[in-house]
Amino acid sequence: MEILVCVKKVPDTADAEVILRPDGKGIKEDDLAFGINEWDNYAVEEAIRIKEAHGGRVTVVTIGVSDSEDVLRRCLAMGADDAIMIDGGPFAGSDPYGIARGLRGIAAARAYDLVLAGAQAGDDGFGMVGPVLAGYLGWSHATLVTSVSVEDGKVAVTRELEGGLEERLRLALPAVLTVQTGINEPRYVSIMGIRKVRSKEIPVLDLAKVGLAAGSVGENANVLRRIALSVPPAGKEAEMIKGTPAEIARKILDIVRERGGVG
Amino acid sequence: MAKVFIVAEHRQGAIRDATYELVTLARELESKFALEPAAVVIGHGVRPFAEVLSRHVNETIMVENEALADFRYETYAAVLRDIIMKETPLVVLCPQSAFGMELFPRLSAETGRPCATDCVQVEMDGPSLVVVRSIYNGKINSRLAFASSGGYLITVRAGSYAPAAEADKAGTIRDYPCPAFGEPFKTEFLGYREAAAGTVDISQAPFLLSIGRGIKDTENIPKAEELAAKLGAVLSCSRPVVDKKWLGKERQVGTSGRTVKPKLYLAMGISGAFQHLAGIKGSGTFIAVNRDPKAPIFRAADYGVVEDMFKIMDALKEQIGT
Repeated sequence: MEILVCVKKVPDTADAEVILRPDGKGIKEDDLAFGINEWDNYAVEEAIRIKEAHGGRVTVVTIGVSDSEDVLRRCLAMGADDAIMIDGGPFAGSDPYGIARGLRGIAAARAYDLVLAGAQAGDDGFGMVGPVLAGYLGWSHATLVTSVSVEDGKVAVTRELEGGLEERLRLALPAVLTVQTGINEPRYVSIMGIRKVRSKEIPVLDLAKVGLAAGSVGENANVLRRIALSVPPAGKEAEMIKGTPAEIARKILDIVRERGGVG
Repeated sequence: MAKVFIVAEHRQGAIRDATYELVTLARELESKFALEPAAVVIGHGVRPFAEVLSRHVNETIMVENEALADFRYETYAAVLRDIIMKETPLVVLCPQSAFGMELFPRLSAETGRPCATDCVQVEMDGPSLVVVRSIYNGKINSRLAFASSGGYLITVRAGSYAPAAEADKAGTIRDYPCPAFGEPFKTEFLGYREAAAGTVDISQAPFLLSIGRGIKDTENIPKAEELAAKLGAVLSCSRPVVDKKWLGKERQVGTSGRTVKPKLYLAMGISGAFQHLAGIKGSGTFIAVNRDPKAPIFRAADYGVVEDMFKIMDALKEQIGT
């Protein structure tokens, strides 16, 4: 199995306050922690597990600038064999189509059996790059994948549907799979592990190397154009309970008792 | 007159609710921007669905074929490609769901028509289509315009528009011929599987104590279990807790887990992703505890507490103990 995993470095905004830049075109990134997109981390783990079971190689790729290198090294420490950086400069501000075009060059150039990616990214959450890439390549695809088992020339997967339901599919290879969180338990990466791969060479590919002309990606080539960012309207706000933890707990218990709960 | 098409989503013999939310959006595009709504129903044995939709819109395009019995992007995209090329709708709408996410980006790549996924608002600004998307975990809204195109594909987040009430239009149903498929197929549907089977049924519990990412570590799960027992609540959780295998899938509240309607919902360390909030719609009293004052959960809760969840858990245990 030759597997390519597409990863992206994103800010962790799940548990952090997100503040708009004064120009309204982006968010303040200084106070945010960046790391591998959560969904991509599961995709890397899944690729490594497939390799461990069936042999082959795992290559991770990102479209980024030098500060994304740590994400690739982390993937190498997890067990990926190779890492590729596509120079992200020309891709600045790209919509999912630009990103998929960049990845197409890599996926098409080598005989990959599988391309794995996260089902979406924690920043803009389009969930488009995987299935668009598959469409460009003419490969089969499945999104929101919750299990993968490799068969002879095919792959059987489950997809997450709504309400605790899954569907089972079989796909011809090569295929693009986008991975849902929870598909596996990604392994721990130690500092020692990262140290071991620090001298591994990571080639940086420019636009021409992925078969693209200057100006074919990036903000000016977008079909989805960001006009402005804003903070969502407040709508209904919760009534805030304030005080010391003990006072708050008392008030919560009052509400619980009022609603017939035990207390 | 430019047209807006609604792609009906159905599964296991029923139209999915999100379809009716698209009806509302299509009607809004009709009244504000003079787009003409029509529905598209694809599948096998779908005439009853087409009949339901024909009461909402003037025209329902029905594609009926055995090969369409189970949803696969491969066959559904081929049908929609054919319809889009021949009928040239300006806008095609689909729910942002496992169905829409599988189908629309692929359809976009195959037709060259641009797609925006997970939109919470859709409108026209002069000749161009503008959408609003909710990004960064619901903390920021992003307004996007499309580059000019002959048609646009949009998936709409569930709950963004109210579902259309029952209607009694006498719309027509048009039998649309199923195009030939480029066999052999690359995809094969094998069946459904219940992923959330378990011994606990959180949907029946009148009082849920629900924990999220804020629980931080599997070692803290017993603390939450202990508090739930003391409160007389059933323990449930948001997705990250299940992803990490700290609790079973049967305890997950949300779109991909269980939909619940308890009398009382006490959420701790849950930021309030829309998939989670969609799972507690219609619940009774909703109290949320979270450290981030801007967490989206406070826009849905009745009562909010900005505090470390462990401090509140300890204080609650102490108060009940005395």
